[in-house]
Amino acid sequence: MNVLEMKDIHKSFGPLEVLKGIDLEVKKGEVVGIIGPSGGGKSTLLRCATTLEHIDKGEIKIAGETLVSTSRSGLTQYTDKKKVQEIRSKFGLVFQNFNLFPHFSVRRNITESLIHVHKKSKEEANAVCDQLLKKLDMLEKADAYPCNLSGGQQQRVSIARALALNPDILFFDEPTSALDPELTAGVLKVIRELAEEKMTMVIVTHEMAFARDVADKLVFMDGGVIVEQGSDIISNPKQERTKEFLAGYG
Amino acid sequence: MAELASTLSQLASGLRFTLGIFFLTLLFSIPLGLIVARGRMSKNKIVAGIVRIYISIMRGTPLMLQLLLVYFGPYYIFSVKLADLDVGPFKYRFVATIIGFSLNYAAYFAEIFRGGIQSMPVGQYEAAQILGFSKMQTFFRIILPQVIKRVLPSVTNEVITLVKDTSLAQVLAVAEMFTMAKNLASSQVSVMPFIAAGVFYYVMNGVIEIIMNHVEKSMRYYS
Repeated sequence: MNVLEMKDIHKSFGPLEVLKGIDLEVKKGEVVGIIGPSGGGKSTLLRCATTLEHIDKGEIKIAGETLVSTSRSGLTQYTDKKKVQEIRSKFGLVFQNFNLFPHFSVRRNITESLIHVHKKSKEEANAVCDQLLKKLDMLEKADAYPCNLSGGQQQRVSIARALALNPDILFFDEPTSALDPELTAGVLKVIRELAEEKMTMVIVTHEMAFARDVADKLVFMDGGVIVEQGSDIISNPKQERTKEFLAGYG
Repeated sequence: MAELASTLSQLASGLRFTLGIFFLTLLFSIPLGLIVARGRMSKNKIVAGIVRIYISIMRGTPLMLQLLLVYFGPYYIFSVKLADLDVGPFKYRFVATIIGFSLNYAAYFAEIFRGGIQSMPVGQYEAAQILGFSKMQTFFRIILPQVIKRVLPSVTNEVITLVKDTSLAQVLAVAEMFTMAKNLASSQVSVMPFIAAGVFYYVMNGVIEIIMNHVEKSMRYYS
């Protein structure tokens, strides 16, 4: 079963066409790594999949629900507000710069949505929070504020915040790009563990070695199109453009 | 000595109105300022335009003039006689003062709030959206608490200015502290009442400074 289906996605910002017809399918339990040069459309694709940007044309299905589709007459229409909200509860997104809520403790960052959006009791929400923090080795930081955590710890909290809502699929937008190499390792370890648990994930990353190890499928994007995809395009690229890009990583 | 005591007691009676103007203005102008800020940021160009003109006029003309217009305007422009109309225990001149002050201060607060709201990183909205918060929840739970922290120093400025501006109510003959001081000064042929009034204003603002410092400190637990 496909958790994410994106068909012929087009997206422009003004005169600049950023996505020129992208097709992407993610199966349940699959980890997809998206690599490619900056400005190639990776992040935009992720933002379209997570409703942060509206597409101009194409179709997106998440967990079987149609978020948006383009009719034969060329009209692109998003589903109604309530349905969009429902679909949003099926995925999580981890941002490059965390976007934790600075005025909330770690615990409240994780439980706020559970309590006020998903109407769980405080006890239930706290139980979920404790379990996740324990798993991510952050339990002793439950009452700390984001400003008192290292970047790596903040990113782990933001992963916990996304996982708390028990999503069908988790998106990562360059989750380690704001971290130094030492802190990166801790975050990558968490993502690796999630992959072992068969969490469905789409990860935009510049960490080539990590992407090669953890991803079941790799997608190389450049110039708004998917140049190449497969399980071993990092070790064994076929397209010239992919080879050229990977050469830069030595 | 007896004169000083009587001066102080009369100033204190004026202080009731000064405090009344002060607290009622804050009570009305802060929520109104939030609404005005929202209007100023509206995507509807007509709404945003009207609000912009409103702010421009409120900031660009003397508050004293605005007070006079609120009080006399209904009669001279629309021939509606409100001057004798009392609202509950309050004389219309006092009500007009509160209306004038609230409209004026709302414009200043609106610009402060707008600055604070627009300084919020877009990522906060995006994270809230992904987590399923509604627009109202996002604003009141995520954005506003952070905006309050950011705008507090500027708000303190306005609050302190307001204490001193209450003296403008004298143009509508509201018996606030400055009006009392002026009357006492002319009847006693002395500057003592003015000095005493000055001390009152200064002490009030001292208290405000202490309170606001305290509030700022209480928000220092995050950055």
